[in-house]
Amino acid sequence: MNKRSARLTRALAATAILAVGVALSGCSSSGAGAASDRPAGVIHVAIYGDTANKVEQQIADTFNKTSKIKVVLDKIPGANYQQKLQTIISTKSAPDVFFNWGGGSIAQFVNAGLLLPLDGFIAQDPKLKSSFLPSVFNSASMGGHDYGIPMRGTQPVMLFSNKQVLAKYNITPPTTWDELLADVTTLKAAGITPIALGGADQWPTLMWYEYVYDRVAGPQLFDKALAGDKSQWTSDASMTALKDIKQLIDAGAFGTNFDSVKFTDGGSPKLLRTGKAAFELMGSWNYSTQQAADPAFAAKDLGYSAFPSIAGGAGNQTDLAGNTNNFYSVIKATRYPNTVRDFLKLMYSDEFVKAQLAIGNLPTTTNTVNFLSTAASPDYATFQYNLVKDANSFQLSWDQAYPQTASTAMHTAVEGYFAGRLDAAGFAAAMQALPIK
Amino acid sequence: MTTLAQGKRTSRRPGGPSVGRPGFAWAVPATVFFGLFAIVPLVFVAILSFTSWNGLGTPQFNGVDNWVALAKDPVMIQSLGITVVLVVLGIVTQTPLSILLGVWAAGHQKNRAVLSAICFVPLLLSSAAISVLWRALIDPNFGIPGELPWLFGNGNLLGSQAGAIGVLTFVGGWQFIPFHTLIYQGAARAIPPVLYQAAQIDGAGTVRSFFNVTIPQLRNSMITSLVLMLVGGLTAFDTVLILTAGGPGTASTNTAYYMYQKAFLGFDFGTASAIALVLAVVATTISLVVVRATGYDKMRSTQEGL
Repeated sequence: MNKRSARLTRALAATAILAVGVALSGCSSSGAGAASDRPAGVIHVAIYGDTANKVEQQIADTFNKTSKIKVVLDKIPGANYQQKLQTIISTKSAPDVFFNWGGGSIAQFVNAGLLLPLDGFIAQDPKLKSSFLPSVFNSASMGGHDYGIPMRGTQPVMLFSNKQVLAKYNITPPTTWDELLADVTTLKAAGITPIALGGADQWPTLMWYEYVYDRVAGPQLFDKALAGDKSQWTSDASMTALKDIKQLIDAGAFGTNFDSVKFTDGGSPKLLRTGKAAFELMGSWNYSTQQAADPAFAAKDLGYSAFPSIAGGAGNQTDLAGNTNNFYSVIKATRYPNTVRDFLKLMYSDEFVKAQLAIGNLPTTTNTVNFLSTAASPDYATFQYNLVKDANSFQLSWDQAYPQTASTAMHTAVEGYFAGRLDAAGFAAAMQALPIK
Repeated sequence: MTTLAQGKRTSRRPGGPSVGRPGFAWAVPATVFFGLFAIVPLVFVAILSFTSWNGLGTPQFNGVDNWVALAKDPVMIQSLGITVVLVVLGIVTQTPLSILLGVWAAGHQKNRAVLSAICFVPLLLSSAAISVLWRALIDPNFGIPGELPWLFGNGNLLGSQAGAIGVLTFVGGWQFIPFHTLIYQGAARAIPPVLYQAAQIDGAGTVRSFFNVTIPQLRNSMITSLVLMLVGGLTAFDTVLILTAGGPGTASTNTAYYMYQKAFLGFDFGTASAIALVLAVVATTISLVVVRATGYDKMRSTQEGL
């Protein structure tokens, strides 16, 4: 008996761990209840736990000085943020306000009727909307309602480069696709990986699709596909975009071993920093990544430019892709909506903007421009701010725009086409199979 | 160990039937614990596998939809194959090395104690730490492959299925061989020297003794180690998550990792529960079959007649 149960225990251990979690959250999920069930005297704010928390703490402290109802920050360690949120958000222990990425990261909660439309707040204080750049604000709006107030900073994707390498081979950052292809040929002949790519992380690969599709087809193609028009993926524009990507891969732009390289463990940034690669397409956080590893390199030799245009394409060269911003969204069951509204007002305050700029984030409020000179690296902040301000469209990263349920299959398709396992038709079919709700 | 327990029981038996075997009450704590943390969740998982649930609101029953979809899911079918390959490769590579190391480490010389202590270091590390460590070591540009291009070519170890599975097997071996070595070391130490002396008198050399005395004596330990490898291999997850993330594509997605993907990346808890149930049933069946087929459950000692 004991031996057998020991065997069974072992066999079931993994299952049990998953199951306990599921069962417990299942038990408590009935308690999403009324405002009166919620803790008295405080509002809980769930925040992605990382080094930027010191600013969130500072803002909460400022707010708590004058408010009778206090803000409590719940810092959730970064890597599993979305999972943790998903398991608590329909329970009694749900936060009143929570950090998110807009778009697909909150779509499920909106569909489940858990979020408070902020239209009422905005009617009471129009500055809650007018103080933010519209291309950013809109990525947390759904079905004509606004669900998020921008916080932290915007993270557009840019083409980073190693200035020393470019100078050595007499290259300037490419403004057209043809220039990029020519640079690739030059660099490859010199034995340098033209473009560093953390292919093992998959999302860095996705950035190439986001930009090439935009430049070739304009932002409409993706928007229509996301709205349900799956024929977009097999359209001529889509096929042209895929052909362009293929051309770049076949030219040897990414080297041969990008499938084993990661951004997240420092592999691809190091390629760029050490001059083994000349370019890297990456989110704006690449600056602080490089700065943390080698401040002198970030200050002197790290170049950045907008994504090149593609001749004959429908996209505007000012179009951006990336994480438009982080947002605070509000739970419908919150006990103190007025307190929440007043707290959210701080997200366009001068204090907030200055504190974010000081740690390298770039808020997207209209008053940000007044403080750009106080940023950690003013040139970089100004360049980014102008990119975002002038953007014709700001495409939210595809894996954030689609619902979470689509992310694995999307990453697999993106990686498969780059590695040559999928052809253009196979990629289109995989994208068509993604759930959009 | 088994002999020892049996020996005690036999010697006590004359004292009366009441002191023979402990009553059911002794098993209550274990049974309650097992019921609460294994059986109850298992029942929940079984129920969830017939529902559609994303973690928000109430699970909706959807009949056998999850199961039908899973049976047709090419990734699921492929993942079962990959799981089998990983388990078999794990057993084939780890068992011989563990036996050799274990038998060697069973000697009593001082240097062996020091060397085996070093060899056991991986046992002290968590598998997450081991995976992160190896992920950095196999970086194609800045890790070992970057330094040894004549051996690794362009270092794209994780770019092919064979490479990814090779890496998983290697790191699995590095991590678990010390553990199984420990099992064999203990077992080899327990072999009575009289057997070797008898073999020596009969003219057996070191090699002959190893195959005719040591290996048969390690039989029960081998089965223990085999079952642990089987069940551990079926549920291997952390190394896959950190080293390959199931890639390239889905080429190293084993069933346990696919379950994680469905549950915590895709928030499809219904399908994930169905996969979990498949894993639980397969793991239980395989360990039962192994135990039956090898006669382990007969609790026979390898030292009967000594």
